[in-house]
Amino acid sequence: MWSGHGTFDSGYGSVGSSGSAGGYTQSPGGFASLAGTQAEKKQRIRSQNIVPCTVSQLLAAEQVDETFRIHDVEISQVTVMGIIRHAEKAPTNILYKVDDMTAAPMDVRQWVDTDEAGGENVVVPPGTYVKVAGHLRSFQNKKSLVAFKIMPLENMNEFTTHILEIVNAHMILRKNLMSASRVPPPFSSGGMGEMGGYGGGGSLPVIGLTAHQSQVLNLIKNCPVPEGMSLQELKLQLHNMSMSTIKQAVEFLSSEGHIYSTVDDDHYKSTDAE
Amino acid sequence: MADVHEVPRPRIATGHLAQRIGQPVCFVGRVEKIHPTGKLLVLSDGEGKHATVELSEPLDEEISGVLEVVGRVTNQATIMCMSYVQFREDKSPFDLELYNEALKIIHEFPEYFPFGTGKNN
Repeated sequence: MWSGHGTFDSGYGSVGSSGSAGGYTQSPGGFASLAGTQAEKKQRIRSQNIVPCTVSQLLAAEQVDETFRIHDVEISQVTVMGIIRHAEKAPTNILYKVDDMTAAPMDVRQWVDTDEAGGENVVVPPGTYVKVAGHLRSFQNKKSLVAFKIMPLENMNEFTTHILEIVNAHMILRKNLMSASRVPPPFSSGGMGEMGGYGGGGSLPVIGLTAHQSQVLNLIKNCPVPEGMSLQELKLQLHNMSMSTIKQAVEFLSSEGHIYSTVDDDHYKSTDAE
Repeated sequence: MADVHEVPRPRIATGHLAQRIGQPVCFVGRVEKIHPTGKLLVLSDGEGKHATVELSEPLDEEISGVLEVVGRVTNQATIMCMSYVQFREDKSPFDLELYNEALKIIHEFPEYFPFGTGKNN
């Protein structure tokens, strides 16, 4: 199910796709996924995710400045699934109360495009199970969601999937935070399968690279010396890798632009300076 | 009595009823029998175990298929139903056995699927 690189399919980055039947790997459960670039190391990347949550988790989320966190996992865009208990139409917005049984129903506001006739602005009737994708907000200590998409569920098996995705997402996101290395990782979305044999690195694998390539790259990145890391140094640190494997990794990383040669073809530095 | 829809209602299967006497719960099951009075239902959960649901008012409609019941567990380990919803199965049948497996997961990992916030909100 998870790819051999331990990366999450870029499909997770998409938002608001219509109800896909079953298909655990296909629904936009959403974890950290970028289009392959590992140049983005900043913490703010995490707020690009869309995380499936329960209403109880959203209510329990703590706010520091502009950021919400559930057990230290930063959340911003979320999906929830629940039943509409109440719907109130106002000129500029529709206010729903969505109930997923984990807490009291949550306020979900959907802004209405006043120029558009019909279409987007049909009120979903109470008693309907819906999937809501939106942003978590807090105002005067009361949490609510601003929805950018509200879709009635056509297949209730999606609801079962959502339950499982919530457990999975929060488990993975929390574990990633706990295993983050002392060197700030370039992108701490860990792979689940391929963690074996970490020679010197100690950092998490990078999206788009194999475990070997990640290890080599992390070592090169962390090398403080001006002329960079030599192949011999790499071989010393990565005792589980043969020289030819190291050379292959270096060649790949170099052609992808992650590293460049310095004094000679045996010395490399990372293009992402720390 | 507090409105049961404003509090957390853990999702349970038949096997959990005995441990939750007096508590609000959410039970999903397939309609097996409806009593002639329309005030008693028997539902089966994903493992085929039966649960009895009591209604305060007799049913005013035909119901069948999969029901999600919100209510409180009585001393007899039946559910006093406060509201129910029929799961739509017009496009695809609902996999109740899979739902039961999901229940096992959320019971095993309450830290990732909490019922209630643990604080007043």
